[in-house]
Amino acid sequence: MKMMETAKSATGAIGSDVKTMSYIEAITEGLMEEMQRDERIFLIGEDIAAYGGVFKATRGLYEKFGPMRVIDSPISENFLVQGAVGAAIAGLIPSPEIQFDDFISLAVDGIVEHAAKMRYRSGGMFTCPMVIRCCYGAAVGGGLFHSQANQAWFMHCPGLVVVTPATPYDAKGLLKSAFRGQNPVLYYEHKRLYRTIKGPVPTHDYTVPLGKAAVVREGQHVTVISYALMLHRSLEAAEKLAAEGIDVEVIDLRTLLPYDKETILKSVEKTARAVVVYESSKTMGVGAEIGAMIAEDGFSFLDAPVRRVSPPDAPQEPFAPPLAEAYLPDANRIAEAIRETVAY
Amino acid sequence: MPVSNDELKGLYYYLTLVRTTDERCRRLFKQGRFHGTYFSAVGQEATVVGSCYGLRAEDTIGIQHREMGAAITKGMPLKYIMAELFARKDSPDRGKSHPCHYGWKPLGIITPASTIAAQTVIATGCALAYKIQKKDNVAVCFVGEGATSNGVWHEALNFAGVHKLNCVYVVQNNLWAESVPASLGVPVEDVSERAKAYGFPGVTIDGNDLFATYETSQDAIRRARRGEGPTLIEMKTYRWYGHSEIDPANYRTQEELEYWKKRDPVPRFEKILMERGVIDESYKQATMQRIEREIEEAIDFAEKSPQPEPHEILEDVYAPLV
Repeated sequence: MKMMETAKSATGAIGSDVKTMSYIEAITEGLMEEMQRDERIFLIGEDIAAYGGVFKATRGLYEKFGPMRVIDSPISENFLVQGAVGAAIAGLIPSPEIQFDDFISLAVDGIVEHAAKMRYRSGGMFTCPMVIRCCYGAAVGGGLFHSQANQAWFMHCPGLVVVTPATPYDAKGLLKSAFRGQNPVLYYEHKRLYRTIKGPVPTHDYTVPLGKAAVVREGQHVTVISYALMLHRSLEAAEKLAAEGIDVEVIDLRTLLPYDKETILKSVEKTARAVVVYESSKTMGVGAEIGAMIAEDGFSFLDAPVRRVSPPDAPQEPFAPPLAEAYLPDANRIAEAIRETVAY
Repeated sequence: MPVSNDELKGLYYYLTLVRTTDERCRRLFKQGRFHGTYFSAVGQEATVVGSCYGLRAEDTIGIQHREMGAAITKGMPLKYIMAELFARKDSPDRGKSHPCHYGWKPLGIITPASTIAAQTVIATGCALAYKIQKKDNVAVCFVGEGATSNGVWHEALNFAGVHKLNCVYVVQNNLWAESVPASLGVPVEDVSERAKAYGFPGVTIDGNDLFATYETSQDAIRRARRGEGPTLIEMKTYRWYGHSEIDPANYRTQEELEYWKKRDPVPRFEKILMERGVIDESYKQATMQRIEREIEEAIDFAEKSPQPEPHEILEDVYAPLV
C-alpha cells in the first residue's frame, strides 16, 4: 500500500522546480499566466476588477491587464454568459465568473442553450472557447444560498466540459487546458479548498488534460471515486482504513463531463468494489451516473453493490451549525460506507 | 446623406427577393417538401432589408426564426437558406438545429437557438469583443416587441449602454408576440421609450417604409462605427400570416389584417421608384425573372443535397479535448 502525493499523479513526477502554494493562489497564477500568454483572454464578472473578487481569486489582474481585460460587470449573470458566448464567436476567449454557484441558475440559458450547443447547432461553424469560472461548495458556513454544488445539473449537457480540481497542481493545470481548447468549460472552484489546501506546483508551464481522472491512491480492496473537497475526506477515510488492513484505491475524477470511464472501470475490475463520494443531494447526483455506468459496463467485475456517499436530499447545506454538521459526509461516514462495501 | 439610385435598386432587389422567397417557402412547406414548420415574415420585409442592406461582411447580425430576410440581405447564399429549411447535409448546421435557424459564419450571421431575445444578447457580446479588439464592426440585433419583456434583453441593453457598444437594436413591433397582443406585453405605446433607461437614443419609425428603415438604420450604424454607442430603432410593422404555418392566427381581426395589407411595403417602395424613374416595368420584369431563377436553383441545390447520416448525430458535440 502506498500513499501517493496527490499532485504527482496527474503527469508523473513534478520535478524539482516547484513551489508550494494554495489552491486559490494556483488559480490566480494560472489566470495571470494564461492572460500573458494569450491576449484574446479577458475576464468579466461581479467585483472581480479593482476589488479582486469576493475571494480574491482575481487579485492583481486588473492592475496588470487593465479595464478592457478585467471587466467589472453589472449584476447580470444571464448576460455575463450569453455575452461571453458572443465575444467567443467574435474571436476572443472570455472567462465570465459566476460569483457563487447559487447564482448560476440565472445563467443556465447561456450555459446550456448557447455555450454548450453553439458548436452542435451550427454544424461546427461556430465554436465557443470560454472558461466559466464558478465558486461553489459547502463547509464554509455559507448557508442555504451560498453553498450549492450544482455540477450534476451540467453533467446532463453534452457539449459542455465540467471540471473541478482538488489540488493546487490540478487547479492550475486544468485551468490552463481549459483556456487552450475550443470547448466551453465550466470550471468549478471549491471555496473550502481555496485556503485550506496547499501543495506543490511546478514553476514551469504545464497542463493537466481535460477528461482524464487520476488514481491518487493505489489500493486493492475497494475503489473510491470522488472529486474536490470530498476527495480529501475520502483520502482521510482511506488512511483510517489502512490501519484496519483495508486497502483503498482513490480516484479523483477531476473532469465530471465528459468523465473518464476507462480509469474507473479499470480500477473496479481490479478491486471488484466501488463507492462514489460526492457533494450535493443524493438523488440524481454525480453518484447516480457513476454508479449506473459501473452497473452497466462493469457489472461482471463487482462483488458488492456500488455505494453512494453524499449529503441527504436536503436542498443544500442549511445555516444553523448543527444542521450544517449533518450535511456533508465526513471521513468517518465515508469510512463506514467503505467498510460495509468491503464486508458485503 | 442622399440615397443613390444604385442603392435604391439594390434595396428593391432584396425587398423583392425576400418577399418572393418567403412566399415560395410557405408553398414548399404546404406541399410537404420540407418538414417541421416555417415562420413567415411576409409584411415585415422593409425592417430587415433596410437594416441589413450595406452591412460589411465582418459586421454581425443576431437574428431569430423569422429573420430569414435579414440573412438573405446580409448575403447568405440562397442555396444554404434552402438547404437549412430542407435539413440536408449541405445545410450550414448539417441538419442539426431547426429549419428556420439560419446561420452563416463567413458573414457573421449567428446560428440562433429558440430562447427569445438571446440572439440580441449574443450579438451584444460580439460588440463587446469589437470594443476590446478596437474594431469598428457593428452588431445589428433583432427582436420583436415581445422579446423586449425578457429580462436578459434588458441586461444586454444595459451593458451596451454602460460600455457604449457598437450595437443597433432593431425592434420589429408587429403587434403580436405569437398570440399575445402588444397591449398585454408592453406597457408603453412605443418600445423605443425603453432605450431611455439605458442612456442611448430610441426612435420609432414606420417599419413598412423602406426609405425610413434604411436611412434610420444607416444613421445608427454610422453612429455605432464612430464609437458613439447603441441606438434602438422600433419599426412598426405587421406579420400577415400566423406565428408559424400551423397557426391560423384566429386571435386577430380581419379588419386589422386588411388595414396592414394596404400598407404593404413592397408595392409602396416599387411605386416610388417607378415614379422617380429609378426603375421601369421592364426592369421589374427582369428582376423578377432573375429572382425566380435564383430561387429555383437554390431549391434544386437543397433537394439534391443528401440527407445527414445517422452516425453524424455525435459530430460537433465537442471540439477535441486537450
